[in-house]
Amino acid sequence: MSSKGNMIKLPNTLSFRLTFCYALTFLVCLVSALLALYVYLDTIFNSRMDDDLKEDIAEFRELLDDGGLERIIDEINREMNSSDQSEVFFRLLDSQGTVVFSSDVSEWEGLEDHTAKILPKATASLIPVLETVEFPDREYPVRIVLGKMAPDLVLQIGETLEKKEEIMELLFKVFAGMVFLGIPLASGVGWVIARKAVSGIEEVSRAAKDIEQGDLERQVTVKAREEEIQTLMNTFNAMAARIRGLIREMREMTDNIAHDLRSPLARIRAMSEGALSEPDSTKGYRIAAAETLKECDRLIHLINTTLDMAEVDAGVTNGMKESINLSQLIADLCELFEPVAEEKHIMLKVNLEQNCQIVGTKHHLQRMVANLLDNAMKYTPPEGQVSIELIRSTHEFRLTITDTGVGIPRSDQHRVFDRFFRCEHSRSQEGCGLGLSFARSVARAHGGDITVTSESSQGSTFTSTFPIISSAA
Amino acid sequence: MRILLIEDDQVIADFIQKGMKEAGFAIDHIADGLIGLHAALTQDYDVGILDLMLPGLDGLSILDRLRQEKKNLPIIILSAKRTVDDRIAGLRHGGDDYLVKPFSFSELLARVESLLRRAQHVVEPTSLSFHDLTLDLLARTAVRSGRRLDLQPKEFALLEYLVRNAGHVVSKTMIMERVWDYNFDPGTNVVEARISKLREKVDKDFESSLIHTVRGLGYVLKRQHD
Repeated sequence: MSSKGNMIKLPNTLSFRLTFCYALTFLVCLVSALLALYVYLDTIFNSRMDDDLKEDIAEFRELLDDGGLERIIDEINREMNSSDQSEVFFRLLDSQGTVVFSSDVSEWEGLEDHTAKILPKATASLIPVLETVEFPDREYPVRIVLGKMAPDLVLQIGETLEKKEEIMELLFKVFAGMVFLGIPLASGVGWVIARKAVSGIEEVSRAAKDIEQGDLERQVTVKAREEEIQTLMNTFNAMAARIRGLIREMREMTDNIAHDLRSPLARIRAMSEGALSEPDSTKGYRIAAAETLKECDRLIHLINTTLDMAEVDAGVTNGMKESINLSQLIADLCELFEPVAEEKHIMLKVNLEQNCQIVGTKHHLQRMVANLLDNAMKYTPPEGQVSIELIRSTHEFRLTITDTGVGIPRSDQHRVFDRFFRCEHSRSQEGCGLGLSFARSVARAHGGDITVTSESSQGSTFTSTFPIISSAA
Repeated sequence: MRILLIEDDQVIADFIQKGMKEAGFAIDHIADGLIGLHAALTQDYDVGILDLMLPGLDGLSILDRLRQEKKNLPIIILSAKRTVDDRIAGLRHGGDDYLVKPFSFSELLARVESLLRRAQHVVEPTSLSFHDLTLDLLARTAVRSGRRLDLQPKEFALLEYLVRNAGHVVSKTMIMERVWDYNFDPGTNVVEARISKLREKVDKDFESSLIHTVRGLGYVLKRQHD
């Protein structure tokens, strides 16, 4: 017995709540409307009764003026003949409360007590005094009026409120019936509306559950009539599609990373094994150790670049942005690559517009431009040319780096910015296939972009843009 | 000069201990964070090398405690955590320098020496010399065996860095970072090309070469047969 909870737990679902709220609102409105109507009718009935009683008093005054006391008594007798003596009574009193004339008041017990209380008030002025009185042995209350006829004569009329009360009781029953019928009706309508609203959400919820259980291809296909629900479904589908894309991308990237990790590891393994199988040779060991170090550095570089790119893409370093003279930054890097160009007999043509200011992350931009320059140097044969140009247009800075190198096959051009993508001819070159994707990440993190145009064996042009952010902003 | 090394990876610790002893430092190695903190608080060291992930007490907490106790021991943090936030956290907690694992020993050594110089307020010299090479740091000119070398500003800076670290191997990364202030490897053979141009000016017309390549590690300034 004691385990029985003392609180009823209501279902905590949206459908239930919507239904409950709907029904409650409906009932509150209905009850208020009916209550107002009831009170209004009651007031009307009461005031009509009062008007009747006051009119009677006025009529009897006229009769008194015309024909004296006998005329009133005649009239009272006439009235009593046409009505039930338990429903109405008439009495004529003097100012001391002595009965001058009375209809049969045998069924109005307790009348004297009441009369004694308000008689002084009624004799004081010509305005009739009205009061509702409950009699102990009567079922319904009675409306009683005391009206002054002459200086020492007061007319008292009492009329039961039985008819009016009966009508009001009937009204109450009808109204209550309406409310009781309204509860299931409102709940039903509310339930239907709520189910309709919630069914879309439930469909999305089912789809989410399916995805959670591994069905990544799941889409919400049902159409909803409600705009909000449709928006939710569309957003959900877009989100699911994005997750699918990211997972696919990640899978590809993991494959690529695994491949790019495996190659240096294979070399390290081969070199160590080779060194061990050799007879004692300090020189051989030294070479193996040096090569191992180089491969390790390449691995570290690969891992670091991947992480750095993730950082750039995630905007982690956004807080470290500063004002940067892009012209100076590029000029410094061109200077850095000058000896490399000289060594390879590559002509370096530099044409930079001065004082191009942008807001950005300095070491990311340096690395981006260095990657582009490094590529240009790598793929341009001796006696070739690399030109670097920075120009200012109305709303952006445009950096073009053009080489006379091997070029990129048309079929590969849209993929060169993909992570780990390497053209056929670049496989022989050092690098991790991340240089250009890093460049793109940086360009995009600065609100710009990078594109390539290339002709096989003619050369390539990489164009990076950086939007000019007005200094007023 | 006494170094305190708090590091739980035995291989790394052995590697550092061996190198530091060869470089002429006394070094104590402790693998546990709490014991390490106790040693740092009770004994006199000139520099501390601190790992972040340690048994006993983590590196950042050790730093907090050290700085609370107003211990001015210069600390180099040595950690595999390399994000910007990690570095900032390390320096905020009172680290003086931050080196990411994996690292080259020569870089660690250079940083330890730099911290020691800073701690001892060594007065910056106005000239540097090595063997028959003399650099005037104010005029930014170099003279070898009485002959003036015609160096460009960056070439002078590179030579200055080599002279300052004479006898120690400096890696390409260190050169990029200290001479050009680029904290990334800008690619293929930028440093090689620079060094070879520098050699032409510093070594070519003289009997003995001073700039030497150490395979797989970097470059070192030394006399031919040292």
